[in-house]
Amino acid sequence: MSTPRPLTLIVNGEPRALQVEPRTTLLDALRERLDLTGTKKGCDHGQCGACTLHVDGERVLACLTLAQQAEGRRITTIEGLAGPDGTLHAVQKAFLAEDAFQCGYCTPGQIMSAVACIREGHAGSAAEIREFMAGNLCRCGAYPHIVAAVQRAARALEQETLA
Amino acid sequence: MSPLDAPVKRGGAGDGLPVLGAALARLDGVAKLEGSARFALDQPVEGLAHAVLLRATIAAGRVTRIDAAAAEAAPGVLAVLTPDNTAPLAAASSWTGAPPAQPQYRPLDAEIFHHGQQIAAVVAETLEQAQEAARLILVDYEAVPAITGLDDPRAGDGDPIDMLSKSWGDAAAALDKAAVRLTLEYRTPREFNMPIEPHGLIAQWDGEELTLWEPSQWLDGMARTYAEWFGLRFDQVRIVSPYIGGGFGSKALALPHGAVAAMAARQLGRPVKLALTRSQTFTGLGGRPATRQVLEIGATAGGRLLAIRQRGWNETSMNAVSVEPLGSVTGLMYALPNFDSRQNVVPVHTVQPGAKRAPGENPSAFGLESAIDELAHAVGQDPLALRLLNDAEHDHSSGKPWSTRKLREALAAGAVAFGWDRRDPMPRSMRDGHLLIGWGMAAGTYPVRRTAGEALVGILADGSVEVASSTADMGTGAHTILAQTAAEALGLPVERVQVRLGDSRLPRAPVTGGSQMAGLMTGAVHKAALAAREVLIGLALSDPRSPLRGTGANTLRLEGGMLVAPDGTAYDVSAVLKATGRERVEALRDTLAENRLKPEDHYRNFTTVSTMRAPTDGDYSMHSWCAHFVEVAVDEALQTIRLRRVVSAFDSGRLYNPKLAASQWKGGIVMGIGQALLEEGLVDHRHARLMNDNLGDYLLPTNADIPEIEVIDVGEPDPHASALGGKAVGELGIVGVAPAIANALFHATGKRLRSLPLTGQRLAEAG
Ligand code: FES
Ligand code: FES
Repeated sequence: MSTPRPLTLIVNGEPRALQVEPRTTLLDALRERLDLTGTKKGCDHGQCGACTLHVDGERVLACLTLAQQAEGRRITTIEGLAGPDGTLHAVQKAFLAEDAFQCGYCTPGQIMSAVACIREGHAGSAAEIREFMAGNLCRCGAYPHIVAAVQRAARALEQETLA
Repeated sequence: MSPLDAPVKRGGAGDGLPVLGAALARLDGVAKLEGSARFALDQPVEGLAHAVLLRATIAAGRVTRIDAAAAEAAPGVLAVLTPDNTAPLAAASSWTGAPPAQPQYRPLDAEIFHHGQQIAAVVAETLEQAQEAARLILVDYEAVPAITGLDDPRAGDGDPIDMLSKSWGDAAAALDKAAVRLTLEYRTPREFNMPIEPHGLIAQWDGEELTLWEPSQWLDGMARTYAEWFGLRFDQVRIVSPYIGGGFGSKALALPHGAVAAMAARQLGRPVKLALTRSQTFTGLGGRPATRQVLEIGATAGGRLLAIRQRGWNETSMNAVSVEPLGSVTGLMYALPNFDSRQNVVPVHTVQPGAKRAPGENPSAFGLESAIDELAHAVGQDPLALRLLNDAEHDHSSGKPWSTRKLREALAAGAVAFGWDRRDPMPRSMRDGHLLIGWGMAAGTYPVRRTAGEALVGILADGSVEVASSTADMGTGAHTILAQTAAEALGLPVERVQVRLGDSRLPRAPVTGGSQMAGLMTGAVHKAALAAREVLIGLALSDPRSPLRGTGANTLRLEGGMLVAPDGTAYDVSAVLKATGRERVEALRDTLAENRLKPEDHYRNFTTVSTMRAPTDGDYSMHSWCAHFVEVAVDEALQTIRLRRVVSAFDSGRLYNPKLAASQWKGGIVMGIGQALLEEGLVDHRHARLMNDNLGDYLLPTNADIPEIEVIDVGEPDPHASALGGKAVGELGIVGVAPAIANALFHATGKRLRSLPLTGQRLAEAG
């Protein structure tokens, strides 16, 4: 359990070598070993969604994933979402425009979920967005604005695709 | 232009719009969206050790033995702290400034007062090692029977809190004569704040200097507590809290786990990180205590209020008195000639309760605003009409006039937007297919609290401006509205203002609580900004090379990095500074004098709440007001209750940023929905143990629980409430939500639930 092993994680397109114990979660590996603290810990039990990131393009809870399980797979965290020149992703822009956050602690998880929610084709209506964003708790209660932001981003991404 | 770009555009003096009051996006927003905003536990600190806490598995009694041998021998373990091997700290005075009852404080104590009390800590090289070692500790206890809650017969009636006794007129006599008399009991359960950022900190010692990276709603108050615990001077403690992942009242005070982290860091000579687990956030600190109140209401047959007699109880811990004032709004909302209110606190074996959004006002309004609805039904009146009939022209509790009260306007605007006139008053009369539809409403209020603030405003050579204060932004928008305030005062676009907050080394700020931050800090920043501009103008007028020399101080304005005279003569700020050999001019100002305090009150003002002014201190009674209208749909066969829409109207005085104020109001409403329908700390009454100490079983509202929420602003600037006219925002939104939903549920089903949360099961049990 406790002997650290070498591991290479591909985070935001970059291979990162580190030594972690088999029991180390992906969340703790990112936060405590790689200084990628954008992904947040809210519960460590898969109950809040704050640690949501993408593994091979799908939303995953980093607190319920062992770092070892993510070896060799593409991990995208909030830090890797904006363009290389720093241009915010459409979802990030929409969160700012709609004031879809207050304290901002749940926000990285919300944004990673929202990107996936749109990609999965679950942003068709407000009711659908509410359902497919229900795994990300926001105690500040930004939910109505999160729904508006997902709708706004989905429209913008659609326009981008058409253009 | 993409549709994304338009509303993000930031207003500013340059486009002729006022900056303060503009609906700007959050200035700290991008950092939070990119994941680059480092919260306290995200700080990169060299050489961190990780601590985890071990908790008591009994609720009352004492620890007789802790066997930590295996834990100490486990890989990576640096230390195990227990009651046996840690020296007591000095006890700290309370947040009111009251001296401690005992001289010593043991953050790891063998005496057990509640289940989940911290009894030991393991510090190791890695978090995983500390967690594993903590499981190896063996603890023996001597348990005694615990008092589990308000309903435990051994709890008794508790202790009266005389400070909360209020009365005028003769309530008993008026009740005896009243044509209509109702006696109603309302209850609220243990609730928890549950910010998504768990409580925790990094503690680091450098000699006798202690630095804490810790989320804090009150840096100066917490720094004082740490200083007193460890026998340090106030300025030897530094708290850094650049962002706060939500607090809602729970991050204002230094807590036992903070003491342990600082103790461990000192013992090891290494920085220590200690984050409560989610489960520990239910036992390491308390939220809103369970409450019970009995209201006796007397009214005329026409529904005019004659008297209210109120008795309230809230639970507290065995070793501290926490008060949830249930009479906060009972005598305030309506014209009430006779009132009598008393409250007891009942010690039980629980963690010391804390403050959860609108402590007092919130459960108080649940009782009163449910009871008003019951009265309306009893006298056959529309609940909105009954409220207007009983509208208070002045504050009956203090006898003072309102500063501003737009409650009638809120009721009217909310009713129109909701379509209240289409409501059929009969319970069970409105349906949508097989669903019962209920429309309910309730009003709410929150007081204007005031404490003096302090801010530093600097004007730099490039004409940009810096604002600094130790105040906190936990999502309330402090960064943004304080930049707007300085920009407005100095005639600059808001992009030219940098705001630094959340470090106790910065100029002082009182607690970010009681919804007072915006009002008091905008006042302090405004004052400091004008003072900094005066300094700059003074330099420009006295500089012999200045083209402005002799043009007169009060005609100059600051614009785009230039000082400009009415005739258009302009002089570069950088030239003024250069000519006088400065890099910047700055002004540090406080608002002690405006709050009738003296310079010697400075420390006390910022590190205790002893100088916080009551809403009735002065010539007026000052409060924010709101009205909520909600629609519920009930499926009786499935026992489900769904909220369908919310329309709420608010009088918070002047809004410094309507976009962010709307977020605060809606956030309050969402928390109110959770309180009304979902949230309940469930106690196992055999063991006085909280059973649902996790986010899967203690139900917070999710996105899928929240319908559309429309908020309407009916406020206008209140010149008495604050320097710039704003009143309370953050805590107002939650007040009145739960009774509005309870009232809607009654309208839908004809069943009255008087205990929160309002669940399908309770509805079914109501017969
Ligand atoms: S931290 Fe992973 S779901 Fe809460
Ligand atoms: S923004 Fe604070 S928890 Fe969501």
